[in-house]
Amino acid sequence: MVKSLNSVVRRLVAPVGLWTATMLAPLYATAEINAGEELLRNRCMGCHVPEQNEPLQLSRISHQRKTPEGWLMSIARMQMVHGAQITSDERRTLVKFLADTQGLTPQESAPYRYILERRLNHIEDKQPQLAEMCARCHSEARVGLQRRDAGEWEHLVNFHLGQWPSIEYSAMGRDRDWLGLALNEVVPFLDKNYGLQKDHWQQWLDSEKASPIGEWRLVGSMPGRGDFHGVMKVIADGEDRYRLNLTGKFADGKSLRGKGQALVYSGYEWRADITLGKEKFQQVLAMNPQGDRFEGRMFLKQQETLGVNLTASRADKPSLLAVSPAFIEAGKSQQISVRGTQLSGDVSLGPGIEVLKVLKRGKNEIRLKVRARKGLETQALDVRVGEQNLAGGLRVYDRIDSLQVSPAYAVARVGDGGGSQEKVKAAFEARAYGAGEDGVNGTADDIYIGTMPANWSLAPFDQQAIEDRDLDFVGKIDRRTGVFTPAAAGPNSKRKYGTNNAGRMSVIASVGQGDNKQEAKAELIVTVQRWNNPPIR
Amino acid sequence: MKHLKPINSKAHQVTAARKEDTLEEVVAMQTVVGCTGTTDPGWEVDAFGGVAGLCQPMESDLYGCADPCWWPAQVPDVMNTYPDWDKGADSAGSDWRKLGEVFPSDK
Repeated sequence: MVKSLNSVVRRLVAPVGLWTATMLAPLYATAEINAGEELLRNRCMGCHVPEQNEPLQLSRISHQRKTPEGWLMSIARMQMVHGAQITSDERRTLVKFLADTQGLTPQESAPYRYILERRLNHIEDKQPQLAEMCARCHSEARVGLQRRDAGEWEHLVNFHLGQWPSIEYSAMGRDRDWLGLALNEVVPFLDKNYGLQKDHWQQWLDSEKASPIGEWRLVGSMPGRGDFHGVMKVIADGEDRYRLNLTGKFADGKSLRGKGQALVYSGYEWRADITLGKEKFQQVLAMNPQGDRFEGRMFLKQQETLGVNLTASRADKPSLLAVSPAFIEAGKSQQISVRGTQLSGDVSLGPGIEVLKVLKRGKNEIRLKVRARKGLETQALDVRVGEQNLAGGLRVYDRIDSLQVSPAYAVARVGDGGGSQEKVKAAFEARAYGAGEDGVNGTADDIYIGTMPANWSLAPFDQQAIEDRDLDFVGKIDRRTGVFTPAAAGPNSKRKYGTNNAGRMSVIASVGQGDNKQEAKAELIVTVQRWNNPPIR
Repeated sequence: MKHLKPINSKAHQVTAARKEDTLEEVVAMQTVVGCTGTTDPGWEVDAFGGVAGLCQPMESDLYGCADPCWWPAQVPDVMNTYPDWDKGADSAGSDWRKLGEVFPSDK
């Protein structure tokens, strides 16, 4: 089933009766289109001036495009700062309406999906034009996920200066002509790279859209719990609204089962709230234009750093999704599962990998007992099942040449202790590598082997951390899972100056024993809470 | 700057960092997404990439940050955006538990 978002827009501008039943079905029900436009008229036109009536064009609003989260943040700010009177239901309707009529295309949101997916320890590769001007306070992604015309970018600069006047004299604001640089250098840069570009959006509106209804097979991984696989069944629950059932299992044996609701914005932005057991998760996924693949993340609503990196494939189309475990030591035998959808045909795991026994042969899982020939060197092998190929899907290794902790730099935050903010945990993984052909670690030809079980510990990062006894106060790391839980918020009278339970730690992963023991470190900043946590930081 | 002389240890550290030309390196460490890079004295980390140079405890000078919107993306500014954020919490040191999240909870 395909439909065009453009029909939404046409319905906004077309005289009644012009569009007939032969046209593509609207993505958004007429009543809801009317409701969205009606809300714009009734809730926004008190301040935003109508520039055109058919179709409705309002000052400021009609000159921007954003993600659903971006529109939510704008409307929430109108409520908090400007006293806009709007109910939660009305806000949801408006966000949906604006994201469908003035959203971002998949290509436009692609570079910045980490912020939508709440990957809070992502290190941004900032553009120099935006690093000091914008990304010294918030993410560059917050800028890059907007499209505005030049006048709108200029308004945004002036708004920043009016709303937060110290912007000119805090670090990286002072000692230069901040406003001149913002208006004369950064605004043209933004206009050139993030201009309104209505034609891009129009092309996306005109393209056919897929429906997510049906069964999906999920694979992924979660720090501390290991590989994940599951099934998600999606059924319709109104226009662009869905109910879903999800069952899944982690490599550590823990199962998930639950139900949820989902909404698709902009023709591809899947957002779902799911209760799995006692835990509430949120899914932020992007559906590909063909409608047969989801990519994104499912994370705990109250602990966003803990989540599953997800890939999903439609169950009725052939795909090869993952091998689990995805690595095997040369000379050893073990069980592996090859997971996908509509799997059929011969299985090939690459040279030197012998299938000893087929333990299960299903269309979604092929479970095998395999042996890796002794003497194989570390390499990534392509896995094939019939016509499907998974490049580098299985890695064989003769030894671990180097170990890296990921993320290499992370921020956790104290919380709870009677205050309003949850503790923000940090989750680490130990990633093993082979040195590659050049035999040198840390070069471009290093071969990623996989995420290894490790013993985790903390140590003071530097002399200052020793002197301040950070280790005694910051919190604990789970020795087995690599998940760090910070200590309570608030001043601590047991510390020098009664300071907070902040600190600077080294996180140490240890893999193997004796001569084969490998260690790696990451830096962990345990710092104070923040009270402003919009979906796009 | 030539007329200013450091008289305590933190000021000496700042001067040393400038001489060693390591400020760029420090900024590079502060690029975890959504964390502020404004480093005087810093919200998540201090100018040296650690936490020892932050206000200690943070609550002792919290309203000194909130009043002039020093880190408005992290700390609600009470100058313009959230004038009532600290209402009923006159002393951050003893009333910090009363300070709430500012973004609507149904995000």
